[in-house]
Amino acid sequence: MEPPKIWREKRQKYLALGISCKKCGKRSFPLSEYCPYCGTNDVEEYRLAETGKILYFTNVSMTSDEMAFNAPYCLGIIELNDGIKVTGQIIDCDYKDLRKGMEVKMVFRILARDGHEGLIKYGFKFTSM
Amino acid sequence: MRMNGRNVFVIGTGLTKFGEFYDRDSTSLATEALNAAINDAKIDRSSIKSAYFGSMTSNSSPHSVFSSKCLRECNMSIPYTRVEAGNASGAAAFHQAYISLASGIYDCVAVIGSEKLSDFVKNGTIEKILGSTIDYQWEYEIGATLTSLYALITKAHMREFHTTMEQLASVPVKNHKNGKENPHAQFRREIPLDRFLSAKRISDPIGRFDLATHCDGSSALILVSEEYLERNSEIKNKIPILSSEHSTDVLALHHRESLTQIKSTVTAAKKAFAKVGIEPTDIAVAEVHDAFPISEILAIEDLGFFEKGEGGNATEAGLTQLNNKISINPSGGLKARGDPFGATGIAQIVEIVEQLRGRADKRQVSEIEYGLTHNIMGTGVLAYVNIFGQEEMKQ
Repeated sequence: MEPPKIWREKRQKYLALGISCKKCGKRSFPLSEYCPYCGTNDVEEYRLAETGKILYFTNVSMTSDEMAFNAPYCLGIIELNDGIKVTGQIIDCDYKDLRKGMEVKMVFRILARDGHEGLIKYGFKFTSM
Repeated sequence: MRMNGRNVFVIGTGLTKFGEFYDRDSTSLATEALNAAINDAKIDRSSIKSAYFGSMTSNSSPHSVFSSKCLRECNMSIPYTRVEAGNASGAAAFHQAYISLASGIYDCVAVIGSEKLSDFVKNGTIEKILGSTIDYQWEYEIGATLTSLYALITKAHMREFHTTMEQLASVPVKNHKNGKENPHAQFRREIPLDRFLSAKRISDPIGRFDLATHCDGSSALILVSEEYLERNSEIKNKIPILSSEHSTDVLALHHRESLTQIKSTVTAAKKAFAKVGIEPTDIAVAEVHDAFPISEILAIEDLGFFEKGEGGNATEAGLTQLNNKISINPSGGLKARGDPFGATGIAQIVEIVEQLRGRADKRQVSEIEYGLTHNIMGTGVLAYVNIFGQEEMKQ
């Protein structure tokens, strides 16, 4: 893992940030300096809605070394209540119990770890309501 | 003014066997393929003025060096460019080479695809490499792998069009049947449907046997302009490139409106068919990107060979088998031939050119007018579609 990258991205990863455009009014994810819809840089940080529902889901058993401590895990595309869609792990649940449309909320968890003594990467995951 | 540039032809093909070669490196594989292509073209190697290499990761050492070493071993001192477009690097290199000829900058160039993936034996390394073909920051680092994203796509297709596990498994069953007749394929044996259905799921509904294997291999082509052919009338077996198009879609699946259509494939195919002035039904043989069973089903729908949602049915009914309605992946595809990323897109073109030349032996498709190749990166952020025709055709 790359310390400068983790440092650079920690704010948007930890806080789950997107942007809200002051010109066209649209919100988007992830955080960016320019609005992907109208191209202006007149944008402000926007914190994503913390609840949403599952659109698509699967489970993951083969993954990178840094995330293997966690495998197998469930993964899905979540539509947040503000309309923004994100990819995220769904935790504290059995894969067989997941359903399309199931309501979930965002939680802060460990995403990856670089061995026993290395860096730890944090970010959002989802758990059922 | 000619809007489409000069006419471009393939005059030589070269291919190594695909598989796991622990005793060989990228340079060795690329050199074998390039020498084979030069010999096949029957030209003096001094006429080749530039080379385009397609590779995603070559060896576990720094990336671009194998290109230079390969050219040195082939006794060629020419400028080269290494093109990277994830697992579509081969098709991307071909497209750049095509542009260099169509634009009039060069008259004769080589295209080489090479990948050496059996060096990466540590668990999870390939998943990390493939992580750079999807949204690394907001898909891969969050926990998604390329396989898991294709699992989401597969489930979406099953939900929307009632595609069944049997229909999905009939894709690799067919491709292994074809691969059996391909001497360059990694796997030359048939695998029964049950094996695919009963295998352990690695990302539901994708099973252990469903993925194309990440292996070693190299492929090469010699491309020339029409002007070059006019000056060298002794050259035979020239296959015209009637169109070479590419297109794009947003990177992350969560930014797409639909998971059941690869927009980049649809737009690249539309451009390619429009340029040649033909319909998808005119294609007799196609090599499409079948990294997962759903990839081939999406490809045959998005390229326009079958209606959206009908890909599973058509495959199960045998319509994509050799010499049926349309022959899809007569080489065995990525699944049976093996998938050394950068070598794949060019190996697809080698197969179509050999089919058009009538040299495909037991996997020969009869009465071909047009052949097509389709190679994509990741979940379709980039798609490359090429159409080839018979010798006498022109763009």
